[in-house]
Amino acid sequence: MASCWWRWRRGCSWRPAARSPGPGPSGRAGPCGSRLLAAARAQISYFNLVKSLTAAFPNMYSISRLYHATSATCCYSKTRSGGKHTDPFKLGRRDLKGLYEDIRKELLISAAELKEMSEYYFDGKGKAFRPIIVVLMARACNIHYNNSRDVQASQRSIALIAEMIHTASLVHDDVIDDASSRRGKRTVNKIWGEKKAVLAGDLILSAASIALARIGNTTVISILTQVIEDLVRGEFLQLGSKENENERFAHYLEKTFKKTASLIANSCKAVSVLGCPDPVVHEIAYQYGKNVGIAFQLIDDVLDFTSCSDQMGKPTSADLKLGLATGPVLFACRQFPEMNAMIMRRFSLPGDVDRARQYVLQSDGVQQTTYLAQQYCHKAIREISKLRPSRERDALIQLSEIVLTRDK
Amino acid sequence: MGLWQLLMRLPRYLGASGPPRRPWWSPSFGNISSVGSWRGQPSKSPAHWNQVVSEAEKIVGYPTSFMSLRCLLSDELSNIAMQVRKLVGTQHPLLTTARGFVQDTRNNLQLRGLVVLLISKAAGPSSVNDSCQNYDMVSGIYSCQRSLAEITELIHTALLVHRGIVNLNELQSSDGPLKDMHFGNKIAILSGDFLLANACNGLALLQNTKVVELLASALMDLVQGVYHENSTSAKENDITNDIGISAWKERAFLSHGALLAKSCQAAMELANHDAEVQDMAFQYGKHMAMSHKINSDLQPFIKEKTNDSMSFNLNSAPVVLHQEFLGRDLWIKQIGEAQEKGRLDYAKLRETIKAGKGVTSAIDLCRYHGNKALEALESFPPSEARSALENIVFAVTRFS
Repeated sequence: MASCWWRWRRGCSWRPAARSPGPGPSGRAGPCGSRLLAAARAQISYFNLVKSLTAAFPNMYSISRLYHATSATCCYSKTRSGGKHTDPFKLGRRDLKGLYEDIRKELLISAAELKEMSEYYFDGKGKAFRPIIVVLMARACNIHYNNSRDVQASQRSIALIAEMIHTASLVHDDVIDDASSRRGKRTVNKIWGEKKAVLAGDLILSAASIALARIGNTTVISILTQVIEDLVRGEFLQLGSKENENERFAHYLEKTFKKTASLIANSCKAVSVLGCPDPVVHEIAYQYGKNVGIAFQLIDDVLDFTSCSDQMGKPTSADLKLGLATGPVLFACRQFPEMNAMIMRRFSLPGDVDRARQYVLQSDGVQQTTYLAQQYCHKAIREISKLRPSRERDALIQLSEIVLTRDK
Repeated sequence: MGLWQLLMRLPRYLGASGPPRRPWWSPSFGNISSVGSWRGQPSKSPAHWNQVVSEAEKIVGYPTSFMSLRCLLSDELSNIAMQVRKLVGTQHPLLTTARGFVQDTRNNLQLRGLVVLLISKAAGPSSVNDSCQNYDMVSGIYSCQRSLAEITELIHTALLVHRGIVNLNELQSSDGPLKDMHFGNKIAILSGDFLLANACNGLALLQNTKVVELLASALMDLVQGVYHENSTSAKENDITNDIGISAWKERAFLSHGALLAKSCQAAMELANHDAEVQDMAFQYGKHMAMSHKINSDLQPFIKEKTNDSMSFNLNSAPVVLHQEFLGRDLWIKQIGEAQEKGRLDYAKLRETIKAGKGVTSAIDLCRYHGNKALEALESFPPSEARSALENIVFAVTRFS
């Protein structure tokens, strides 16, 4: 899928089109007229998007400019051909043996039922996406700094803590959203009720905080505390919606950062702090995590429209049902302004969810969101490429590609 | 002024306009007070208790630090305040919690925070502490200790809010629309999480990993304590779990003692006091909290003017002790005798319990913990702060 969109993007280079919305770029003819029209429309909306992105992330404009200027010889394809083909999950798992056993050891709880609830999602069936990024980043930073071939115990703890904070927030989110299934299982709140589910979430969070404190590094504590704050703030952002289109997009991206990317960015930063004293490296780790995290969530939002529930382990169109307008909807709304009203009433009228879904699938919303995710991945790859080459670094590059092409 | 009190007043400060012009907690909005016996209601002999507390507040200078203010100015808080208003008219317990904070000034006092401040002052600066930090000392308390007191209150309040989540599949038709209750749950989780996030943030700023660990483990204890509390109070018809007094003590420590004990210890750690002083502070916090808890458990049995129909917790200290003296079988028989048309006649059961030995031995237990707390205080040098801590113990162990 990624390569397909890669071709599509090259087929309509953006800069000339933004200057003169006349004929398409010479040399490469579009597949057919209607396709070109749609592409041109998409480019204009993309231009607006870049403007709104600049508002949200001041450094984003320069990124996209740089990206387009070098699109012909993109570092993406270079690193891909240059890097050794490493399965990041296989490589990462070497350091994560016994991850879930170790997490369960942190959950020292005497009450049997409470323990069972807290351990419910640590069954080893999750993707462990976050821990894998964290240990790979730890090794990449250690090698970069002093060619060390080890992962410190404290760095591995960060992988546990990241997964625990993530799970704690899932448990609370499921109560907030009244969700009934996750990872192909019934949710904690559906089995044990909301009252206990909330306590289970709090308990996991407290266990994570204890583990974090035991690392004994105040900087690392501050870094991961930021995540907890961002998660709550992200949830608050999700409560409100913005009337103005550009604001809405910035709002969406900010929410995406806080709810998903902050955890990945800050845990990457934490392991880099533990492994290497150079602040430049800390920033690289943070930027990689942030960009991969946003891309990850954008693709998640796409999959909510394109995937079927069996694959995801949770129901699809879930966001619409919750009244949330994610990337694909916001893009589709540029093509079908009649969606505005639906967004503002949070898809609350009967039939809204289905209609919105149809609009999105008819529009370029899915493609545009995927494309945007690609941008974030490129940025992530550019950042991580600044580290000294290593198998783990290449695996992180690989991982950002997997983020784009995953179907579940 | 308590955090929640500030919180609830916020929309007015911000000039927010909404349908409910008058403060939504004003009494005309229905009678909620009958709903909740779910929260421990410490009600001492008022005059004495209030006097003790207001004198103690004077000793620590000012009761709250700036954290409430910082919290208050955040967007999220104004958001919560707006959302809570939407709950007016629903039956969600979050309203009861919030109302409790605002109306009941006696419970609204931040007892935990106050004790942390008092013990900080009673311990004073440590001898090993180099004087570099002394500049941020106000009324003999370091600013980091004031933050800690605030964090203790934040954690306590967060759990109080999370305690009030309702199970959606157990709702009765009298609870009103499911949508309202779900919305109430959502806001309760978010506001509790918001308070916890602020607590974490404040902890991180203290730059002391041992303090972070202590408070995180206090949170873990508290959550487990709340879990036990919920699981015993939820099933009214099960009467009681067969827990002995030692299991009761463990659970009471988790739900009431751990946070105060560990906060007191952390306050000593922040001033670089050694392990021995830290332990004494821990002991004071633990035993004071226990005797406070037993005191409030005793209220339904010793108040002269009791509302006869007032229910009481069948897992409170006097009842558990009564049961232990009696043996399980006789106790079940007594409960059976107190049943009236399928409902438990609390007035009758109360008289039965008062006739047994449960109440007097609960009073003894309360005094035992009070004495332990006083013993721990002896290692601190005499001061007005120490006297205030002693007076708090005297107030909760006085039964007349």
